[in-house]
Amino acid sequence: MKDMTHEGGLHSAAHMYASEYAEGKLSRREFLTRTTALGVSAAAAYGLIGLPAPAQAQEAKTGGMIRVAMEVKGTKDPRLADWPQIANIYRGWLEYLIQYNNDGSFEGRLLESWEANADATQYTLKIRPGVTWNNGEPFTADDVVRNFGRWTDGNVEGNAMASRFPGLVDEATKTMREGAVVKVDDTTVQLNLTASDIAVVPNLADYPAAVVHSTFKDGEDPSTNPIGTGPYVPQEVAVGQKAVLVRAPNHTWWGGTAPLDEIHYIDFGTDPAAMVALFSSDEVDRNYESVGEFIDILDGMGLVKEELVTASTIVVRTNSTSDLYKDKAVRSAIQLAVDPKVVLELGYNNLGKTGENHHMFPIHPEYPTLPPQVINPAGLVPALEAAGLKDTEFEVISLDDGWEAATTAAVQAQLKDAGMNIKHTVMPGSTFWNDWQKYPFSSTTWNHRPLAVQNMSLAYTSTGSWNETGMANPEFDALMAQALALADADARRELAAKMGTILQEEGYIINPFSRSLFSHHKEGFLGLEMHPAFEHHHYKWSIA
Amino acid sequence: MGKFVLRRLGVMLLTAIALTFVVFYLTNLPPNLEKLARTEGSVRMSEEAVQDWIEQNGHSGSVFGRYGQWLGVVPGWTYTDEKGDTRGRCFAIGQDAAAAPTYCGLLQGDWGYSTFFKKPVADSLGEKLAATGWLMLAVMLVMVPTSLFLGVLSGMREGSATDRTLSTFSIASTATPEYVSGVVLVALFATAATGISPLLAEYGLIEPKKTLFLASATSAMEDITFWNFALPVMTIALYGIGYIARMTRASMTEVMTQQYIRTARLKGVPFRTVVMKHALRNALIAPFTVIMLQFPWLLNGVVIVESLFNYKGFGWTLVQAASNNDIPLLLACSCVAVVVVLLTQLISDIGYVFLNPRIRLA
Repeated sequence: MKDMTHEGGLHSAAHMYASEYAEGKLSRREFLTRTTALGVSAAAAYGLIGLPAPAQAQEAKTGGMIRVAMEVKGTKDPRLADWPQIANIYRGWLEYLIQYNNDGSFEGRLLESWEANADATQYTLKIRPGVTWNNGEPFTADDVVRNFGRWTDGNVEGNAMASRFPGLVDEATKTMREGAVVKVDDTTVQLNLTASDIAVVPNLADYPAAVVHSTFKDGEDPSTNPIGTGPYVPQEVAVGQKAVLVRAPNHTWWGGTAPLDEIHYIDFGTDPAAMVALFSSDEVDRNYESVGEFIDILDGMGLVKEELVTASTIVVRTNSTSDLYKDKAVRSAIQLAVDPKVVLELGYNNLGKTGENHHMFPIHPEYPTLPPQVINPAGLVPALEAAGLKDTEFEVISLDDGWEAATTAAVQAQLKDAGMNIKHTVMPGSTFWNDWQKYPFSSTTWNHRPLAVQNMSLAYTSTGSWNETGMANPEFDALMAQALALADADARRELAAKMGTILQEEGYIINPFSRSLFSHHKEGFLGLEMHPAFEHHHYKWSIA
Repeated sequence: MGKFVLRRLGVMLLTAIALTFVVFYLTNLPPNLEKLARTEGSVRMSEEAVQDWIEQNGHSGSVFGRYGQWLGVVPGWTYTDEKGDTRGRCFAIGQDAAAAPTYCGLLQGDWGYSTFFKKPVADSLGEKLAATGWLMLAVMLVMVPTSLFLGVLSGMREGSATDRTLSTFSIASTATPEYVSGVVLVALFATAATGISPLLAEYGLIEPKKTLFLASATSAMEDITFWNFALPVMTIALYGIGYIARMTRASMTEVMTQQYIRTARLKGVPFRTVVMKHALRNALIAPFTVIMLQFPWLLNGVVIVESLFNYKGFGWTLVQAASNNDIPLLLACSCVAVVVVLLTQLISDIGYVFLNPRIRLA
């Protein structure tokens, strides 16, 4: 992914967003997220909509500490880490080649830049100069090559990274292929993949991909010998109780000075009711996540709410292997009879953002802006009559719990109002997931993935392993094959627009909303934004 | 008496061995080992990877052999992987395998390594026991005087209004389990929305805090204050107060009907002196045993209360050890439980001798 600012001016889409902001279609926050994701600086973005950039965007105050309520799990070899909470502690001293930011963009950390070739089979990684480990040694290309060796080692039980780089692995030995990761010079490393792979960048930013020092022993707890490149070191990691990060002594961090002196993670358990008590008695400054009705309660206590619209979503989809839904006109009519706004309100209490029936969201780097669909419940009955299905009884299936059931019920209610004879069947998870891909009409939850094409290739290509719609559109497949070889998000966006349009027109999916993540903190702190993968970027935190 | 104590200590040892073996056997059942592999390795491991992990981390082979390793009578396991790195029971990752001792178990004074806390069991359990010690001390300081006072007061004049009132209170408090009284106390005193805290806050009586007490005792691990410690202590103490008060009352009423009390009364000794000088000491024998028996009971009381109030002591450790299948930690917890139960009984037996000269230990 090359530098995204365009020579001699701002990204053209930035102007488009600015006019949308002026028309009131975008919130200020969303406007900023989108334009800065295009590489426009925050100050320039504020300028576009005629506002002065807030002073806080400049220099953060140094000093102070924060108390964060989070489960303190034992730290372990990063590639084995299976909870974001584990990574949030070693993030203090272990850094990443690339970082996934909460606006959906990727930022080089230990890498200064990277570039992929035209079909994403070769990556050139440029190492950031001047990075040192906290024991004084310089960070070099050898460190990068060695870490790739650790990540690609499939012989280590539970190595979360092993399956991420199929293009770098030797099938026979399940370790790094000879010549796959090459040190070109002291600051350059080249990845030679056997097949196109645009997920290399998001994979390098995922929480098990922390970069460790050469003295790190496989399987060791990283807090016992905390050599890293980051600004902090662990003073104490008491599992189940607390973890304290303090400034690394005698270490010049390449990023300058991280504002906070100390970061305390305190394990108060996971009961959200206890969190209310802890905030009210001033025992914590920030929680890990706020859920359900507690969001309102914490709002009411005068705390600052952080909301992040993710790409975690629910898809209520038809399946064309069923005779009822093989007619595209019927599918489209069903899709357009459902108003996403109503579903979001009834199904998820407005704790998210409406979707556009193409399974892509603004947080995705290749998110295209498509013309809005016209919701038309009146079109459903004529379409059903034309297909001879007017008197058929339809059924929509969902999981039996919580918001999945409520969302599906909201969809069913709208279809019923539009004149369709449809019932809602709920199933417990134990039976639901056995056949989730085969139901004629049902709802499925999808997790957040950094790139839109990651979800779409799994779900909507004819060969996708999680294809639950029966969709087999040759044009879509061809576009996806192209998109999966394009590492540049801007180039991919055009293809994404075409694919999004096809998905909307095929009418298989009702994708009513994406869910938001929330957290709360006391007034007086900056930079505590929520992250789609619950990552804590400590160096962004400061006292106001 | 020496012989008696020695015999008791022998029983304690046997009980500990029997109990730890049962715990060891149960925690080493295959599903529990798989769970351990998934928490220690990674939740994403495949079935085969889990089996490999179990084999490569010393959890395969005969259960007696592994129990022997824990005791220190069988050499500790070692495993050398395909890269030539060796790991084993008796040394940490990266340490020299050759220099490590062959045996490292209880007999060598090594309690093993806690997989949950990621540090030696002896260190982590020591800390937790100290935390629970403070909790128990506070509970005892509240519970014993209060309950004895209430018991004596109601037993002094059986059937009086005071007796009826206090008895009702004791029965009610002892009939309420901790997980009920704890939640009720939190709702009454420690939430900003219900109970009496909003009222007090409105009058500005508890500024700058928003609640009368804190519903979490986590901060008491570092600094015990009345504010963060009162509720957990009261929750445990309430249950015990009722129970001990009932026992004291029964014993007191019995003593008060004795001939020598009547004689003293008839001789014109003031009621106060009769109670304090003649009745009290005899009436306290039975409650003394009950109080000593409260220690083992406290151990399981703290399991609930420490989890409820997130106080990281012995009870909380036991819950974490069990839910993470931390084998060495669970074994050590069992040993602690055995020692506490049998030691308090021993003390109560010896204490008896001093309170009641008619009893002799042989």
